[in-house]
Amino acid sequence: MQIDIQHIAKLSRLSIEEEKTEKFQKEMESIVAMCEKLPPMDSEYTAVDPSNPMQLRPDLVKPSLDREQLLQNAPQTQAGCVVVPKVVE
Amino acid sequence: MNYEMTIGLEVHAELNTATKIYCGCKNSFGAQVNSNCCPICTGMPGTLPTLNEKVVEYAVKMGHALNCKINPVSKQDRKNYFYPDLPKAYQISQFDIPLCENGHLDVMIDEKGNTKRIGVTRIHIEEDAGKLLHDESFAGSLVDFNRCGVPLIEIVSEPDMHSSAEAKAYLETIKSILQYIDISDCKMQEGSIRCDINVSVARPGEPMGTRCEMKNVNTFSGAVRAIEYEAKRQIEVLEAGGEIHQETRRWDDAKGQNFLLRSKEDSHDYRYFPEPDLLTIVVDEEKIQKLKDELPELPNKKCKRYMDSYGLPHFDANLLTENPDKAAFFENCVSLKKCKTKSISNWLLGDVSRILNEKNITLSDTLLTAEKLTDMISLIEKGTISVTAGKTVLDEIILSDKLPGQVVEEKGLAQISDTGTLEAIVQSVMDANPKSIADYKGGKTNVIGFLVGQCMRQSKGQGNPALLKELIEKRIQKD
Amino acid sequence: MELFEMTAASLSEKLRKKECSAVEITRSVLGQISKKEEQIGSFVTVCEERAMKQAEEVDQKIAAGESLSPLAGIPVGVKDNICTKDVLTTCSSKMLYNFVPPYNATVVDRLERADAIMIGKCNMDEFAMGSSCETSYFKKTKNPWDPDCVPGGSSGGSAACVSAGEAVLSLGSDTGGSIRLPAAYCGVVGLKPTYGSVSRYGLVAFASSLDQIGPLGRSVEDVANLYSVICGRDPMDATSAVREYGNFAQGLNRSVQGMRIGIPKEYFGEGVEPEVKAAVMESVDMLVKEGAQTVPISLPSTDYALSAYYIISSAEASSNLARFDGVKYGYRAEGYANLTELYEKTRSEGFGDEVKRRIMLGTFVLSSGFYDAYYKRAKQMQQKIAQEYTEAFSKCDVIITPTSPSPAFKIGERADDPLKMYAADICTVTVNIAGLPAISVPCGTVSGGLPIGLQMIGPKFSEQVLLNAAGCFENLCGGFGVAPAMKG
Repeated sequence: MQIDIQHIAKLSRLSIEEEKTEKFQKEMESIVAMCEKLPPMDSEYTAVDPSNPMQLRPDLVKPSLDREQLLQNAPQTQAGCVVVPKVVE
Repeated sequence: MNYEMTIGLEVHAELNTATKIYCGCKNSFGAQVNSNCCPICTGMPGTLPTLNEKVVEYAVKMGHALNCKINPVSKQDRKNYFYPDLPKAYQISQFDIPLCENGHLDVMIDEKGNTKRIGVTRIHIEEDAGKLLHDESFAGSLVDFNRCGVPLIEIVSEPDMHSSAEAKAYLETIKSILQYIDISDCKMQEGSIRCDINVSVARPGEPMGTRCEMKNVNTFSGAVRAIEYEAKRQIEVLEAGGEIHQETRRWDDAKGQNFLLRSKEDSHDYRYFPEPDLLTIVVDEEKIQKLKDELPELPNKKCKRYMDSYGLPHFDANLLTENPDKAAFFENCVSLKKCKTKSISNWLLGDVSRILNEKNITLSDTLLTAEKLTDMISLIEKGTISVTAGKTVLDEIILSDKLPGQVVEEKGLAQISDTGTLEAIVQSVMDANPKSIADYKGGKTNVIGFLVGQCMRQSKGQGNPALLKELIEKRIQKD
Repeated sequence: MELFEMTAASLSEKLRKKECSAVEITRSVLGQISKKEEQIGSFVTVCEERAMKQAEEVDQKIAAGESLSPLAGIPVGVKDNICTKDVLTTCSSKMLYNFVPPYNATVVDRLERADAIMIGKCNMDEFAMGSSCETSYFKKTKNPWDPDCVPGGSSGGSAACVSAGEAVLSLGSDTGGSIRLPAAYCGVVGLKPTYGSVSRYGLVAFASSLDQIGPLGRSVEDVANLYSVICGRDPMDATSAVREYGNFAQGLNRSVQGMRIGIPKEYFGEGVEPEVKAAVMESVDMLVKEGAQTVPISLPSTDYALSAYYIISSAEASSNLARFDGVKYGYRAEGYANLTELYEKTRSEGFGDEVKRRIMLGTFVLSSGFYDAYYKRAKQMQQKIAQEYTEAFSKCDVIITPTSPSPAFKIGERADDPLKMYAADICTVTVNIAGLPAISVPCGTVSGGLPIGLQMIGPKFSEQVLLNAAGCFENLCGGFGVAPAMKG
């Protein structure tokens, strides 16, 4: 299986340096080859399990986190917000 | 060349639960930036979502209102993409098993109350993203996470609409239902309802054309403009011999134009997969039924009933049933049996609505009660006050706790219906206008209006105009 | 015997009898840390001041005659992917080199409520991805039995600190063997609980559907006590099971009388070193002499487990680790021109190669066009493996296998070959895939002196059965302890 490592890196928001591309490519291909050992299966696959239903949360307000604490780990803040490079969309 | 347009809509409505969808933070609009946030809704490492039960209930209610099949077993999925307003870098949504699917909505499309059925593909629950703030003084864009985790339902329609008017009627009906079942504030200016619009055009008889999706449509009138613009754009491309590419475009309502956001090739690969932090959502049949039983009479049905049992024209019935508060107020008025139903409708849709619009408030912001309004109307119907005086009374009672009778007394608005007094006025007007009388006798009977007007002026507006007219006619005939 | 070498049970007894104080215990453990930490490197952060303060508080409670939990005053190491309020939580990654959570993981709240003393944050493979503790951004933890060898991973620091006497107990997390493998390599007891029995709230997620926090210790009773403290329904974790739990230490009867032990042939094949195989079978014989019986069983899909595991865990990881982007917390690269560059530079500089590999694998198996062939197929295999276990447990009560096909390997030996590294997990991953509980206990050493681990696997929520079997075996062995070179 040929893997388009640059495409996958882009999707993952990673940039792979030129000199490492080949190494990653090789490693990824051997891992994918291992994964390809899985046989196709005709068993029904369902992602739901009604025998184990989820308990839902009552709609009751809990105190929010103090803003100072909320942003204490942010690399850059201004006016009570985190800052990112200018985006338009 | 003739083209037919085809429209499909994805409506996002914020739900008015007390808390967010996956954490206990307050779900409210307009708070200080980043003050309704916690480690969970800001996606801090190790935190986990817990699903708000009200969100499931609200979505199921909407499912019932739109005649959907409710899936008693459903699940949630992650939609993965990077953007600063999405702190986990995935949105928890529903992919292949939504809570509700295969529904429909009958939308009134003309004055006679004829309807058209629009298919509803699905309704699913998901979380809203935060907001990016832009300002010249900022180093970049600022992120406010308050809206992160606000619960949304997404209502996806079939591509069953073929004009912007149909789309608008669909949107208005959806909004009105959301208000009736009281699951969304529906405040357009706060962005609590937003829609994405899919538009395609094709020549009649030909298969459906390639669709383009428009994002960022925040008002219903904007939706109409966006649809008209996009259909025209597509037709122009086709007429010039070009072809339509599937793409996402951004509507700019201020400019009245849309712009390419991304082509199909650049479209996101969302890598949906089942949300492993949440288990299967199971809603038992009993609860599904209970939520159905709790639904109030919905606007379409109510509108039909107003037309059938009150004999109101479609125009009135439709406006009265547009929102549940107005409809309830109207029905309260009717139940008091103090005046004509049509008069109530006229006042509510006329002067009451005008005042509300001018002041940008809703009925619940006023001190008007059904009792007060119908008292006022009945004063008119009994001839105690004139219509003009009625407007003055309404202005007074709508924002105060004054009663209509009190205002009439204070302002001396009662009509003069005492024949003796009125006859004196008629006499003096007729003495002053012999020419008019001659004209009347000569066949120009419409001068009566002028004469009544003169009498009204002399009575300082308080004469009973119907009575005055009668008296004038009597006098002329006597002469 | 020094205080730091003792079990929590005996220390608790001493506290109760006022033969020592919590401060003395903590001081003894901190003393061992100051002696051995430079060599072993179990911790990313040692919480000296905080621990001493907590110990003083425990002593005050003792003086006031308050009744205390069996963990009161016991120094516990906490894996550095478990969030601790106001204490650095790095996941051993540059990405979170400076992250101080404003909240506690639920297990940390529970430790605090039990008056346990958090002695430090344990080193690990970066974001728990690895089997050797070598992918940590900060340091390579050494095996206390042989400092040239790895301690195993990913909870390498959690196992090493217990084995070195740098903590009495510790918390690790296990996604594919990350508690059991290092427990085996370091000669301590490690329990991977049933999925859903311990809250994951505050555990920085690697693979949400497989991750589970669990205890490591030098005795079965200690592990049972710590497990009793951390297990239980947590409304903050939707995947946490709704059920009641007993006290596992009080329920410890150490009996295997009538117990049917399943021996799956797939786990004793060619890949397993003969010495390991022999030690495990010898241990089984000892249990048979105590009244257990063996049943040959088969888990035929075991060969496919690694593939399914790497697909599922990487898929989830690619999504779980997407939030590390330099915007809200942790590392942020410098010199970016726009948002995409900020993301790419931060993530490329903040994550190590193993993490990048798994993120890319996960992105690949979920990407458009590949989902069905990889992710869906792996989920189907997961269901099949779980079914095979269910069938096996109709014939037996516990299943015994080696924890790992070989003992600890040399540092650097497998670092350049991801597949060889992944092979260390071959005996442990199926347990996570099926959501089962399993315990690893030491069962002797190979000729080179390195410990061997024996794994006992049970049906969901059979922790008491596993602890009893492990407790029986512990008695037969005469107990476990700190690594020989670490004794006081």
